[in-house]
Amino acid sequence: MNQATPESNKVDSSVFLTISELRKSYGSREALRGINLDLKRGEFLCLFGPNGAGKSTLLKILATLLRPSSGTVQVLDYDLEEHAEKFRANLGMVSHQSFVYQDLTVLENLEFFAALYGVQDSQSRALELLEEVNLVDRYDMPAANLSRGMQQRLSIARALVNDPALLLLDEPYTGLDEHAASVLRDQLQKLHSRKRTIVMVTHNLRRGLESATRLGILAHGKLTYLQEKKDIDATAFEEIYFKHLGAA
Amino acid sequence: MTLTNRSSLFAGAAALLMPVAIGMIFFYAPLEKTMGSVQKIFYFHLPLAFSAFLSFFVAFVAGIMYLRTRRQVWDARLAASVEIGVVFTTLVLITGSLWGKPIWNTYWTWDPRLTTSLILWFIYASCLILRSAVEEEGKRATYCAVMAIVGFVDVPIVFFSARLWRSIHPVVIRSDSVGLESSMLITLLVSMLAMLAFWIGLYKFRVSLQLQEAAANELLNPKD
Amino acid sequence: MSSLHQIRFLLCKDLRVELRKKESLVSMAFFGALILVILNIATGIGKQVDAETGAGILWVAVMFSSVLGLGRVFAREKENGCVAALLISPAAPWEIYVAKALVNFTLMVLSELVLVPVFYVLFGAQLQGTPLTLVPILLLVNLGFSVTGTLISAISAGTRRNEVLLPILLFPLLLPLIAFAVKATSAALAARPFAELLDQLEPMAAFCVIFAVVGYLLFPFAIRED
Repeated sequence: MNQATPESNKVDSSVFLTISELRKSYGSREALRGINLDLKRGEFLCLFGPNGAGKSTLLKILATLLRPSSGTVQVLDYDLEEHAEKFRANLGMVSHQSFVYQDLTVLENLEFFAALYGVQDSQSRALELLEEVNLVDRYDMPAANLSRGMQQRLSIARALVNDPALLLLDEPYTGLDEHAASVLRDQLQKLHSRKRTIVMVTHNLRRGLESATRLGILAHGKLTYLQEKKDIDATAFEEIYFKHLGAA
Repeated sequence: MTLTNRSSLFAGAAALLMPVAIGMIFFYAPLEKTMGSVQKIFYFHLPLAFSAFLSFFVAFVAGIMYLRTRRQVWDARLAASVEIGVVFTTLVLITGSLWGKPIWNTYWTWDPRLTTSLILWFIYASCLILRSAVEEEGKRATYCAVMAIVGFVDVPIVFFSARLWRSIHPVVIRSDSVGLESSMLITLLVSMLAMLAFWIGLYKFRVSLQLQEAAANELLNPKD
Repeated sequence: MSSLHQIRFLLCKDLRVELRKKESLVSMAFFGALILVILNIATGIGKQVDAETGAGILWVAVMFSSVLGLGRVFAREKENGCVAALLISPAAPWEIYVAKALVNFTLMVLSELVLVPVFYVLFGAQLQGTPLTLVPILLLVNLGFSVTGTLISAISAGTRRNEVLLPILLFPLLLPLIAFAVKATSAALAARPFAELLDQLEPMAAFCVIFAVVGYLLFPFAIRED
């Protein structure tokens, strides 16, 4: 199942995710207008773009929450739509919504999701994650009683419950306090060092630049820029970003 | 646009047939012996009921097609047919009541057909309320498609359950014979034809209006 | 990972929340009892109702109280976007559907444990049938209400007017089920032979089967975003 993607400069055996000619329209509005992208295992891609550029739509398609209007997403030679159920077991997502139940305790939340993902010993997995996000001492507190920062740390732990092969982050830094932001950054670095593939969408340049290995800019439903981070420096990227926004 | 041309074709046919049908109802069809002139409402009542049911069937098919293809045109078809179906069912209920008052001595009775029509009216009117309550196009289309399918599946159950009440509704058209004199039958057929042409014209008109409305919305509120 | 496990996890999660907060259950039982009292006053204090009126009264109370609980079943999932979390989890949409319908079924059974005794206290003086014959009718209505209601509540919860739209969309669809239930209940309350009830129980069961299948097929569309 090999298809020629227009910018397939790095199709090799370790390609993890292939997006080709992806389009999504609502009625006659086009949110995504032909996205092509290859991701290798262990890559950390950060996509920037203004509101309405189609960032969230792209992420939702990758998360199997939306179906593309046309085009395909392939994960390790499997079509995403056809094998959505298998794929979901290896997927994690952090969104600006916390995805946790207000009326369950911290531990119950994690245990529930761990069970849903078929994690063998859901309780020890939950405790292990609470350790990592510094919430162990709050384990029996209802999520509703947590401060906003703690809720955010809980939602990060929730997304990692199945040790996802692909982690999707939709504006994860929005409204995060310093502590939660540093927890998130540490967790991302940990995952990255363990060869997990990460796709983050944000308009926060500083946060995006600090941990990504690859940078992209999405404007008006098109990927207008895509580059390895090691090839450019941060200040140059800022200029490029604003130039792309201006052009769009 | 071909769509508008074809819709005006059917509208024109309806404009021709409708007066003919009315003329035949009053001057051609004989006066019914026991019921008198009230019976003439039947020539509109039955075609209206048939077209209303047709609307709900079209909505059902459009609902399935929308969920399968996600194409906006199916949503427009669904919306148009549900709207027309609700209006026609309202007319069925009104014409039926007008007829029922002198004949049954009551505007309303819990007869299976009346009950079924009323419940259908509620089901599809609720679908219209739902349409007005959801702004996101994709969501609105999906929800209405689901409701149109569920509503149509409910129809036979509603009719079956309504048989709990004893029927006093006249059964004019049976599978084996038609309980009508031939001039009455011809009048009925012409009225039916007129109503169907009217239905199709109205339907085509509403579908194209729905699509134009969506396009206009798109121009007024671009997503970016 | 078997579906049975997934359904159990989802069900336990909801029931745990429900039994801890008891918000749905308390409001369902309270509102249902309130309706019974209002109808008792409305039919005239001190007057006895016959079996047919009694059946109608019981079902008005059950319907209106149950729709309160049903509204919460999905509203809770929407709070922090949890629906999306479930959709991207390995749990299949139909497993979510079954779990939610079971949650609602359980809530209805529990609230009826309060409502039926209250009904008998207020209206029972002239009714001859034993409450036991009501059990199959109640269970079938609970099932039909849950399988239909879960589908419709997924729709109404996706709008901004959940609480208003839910009964508006749901009750017309349930009317045939209620018609059968009222007929069966009046037979039961008048202590008529059980065979007479069967004529109503069979179509009620058919209603449950049909809408369970419809719900199973359509729920995945109703719950998704696109």
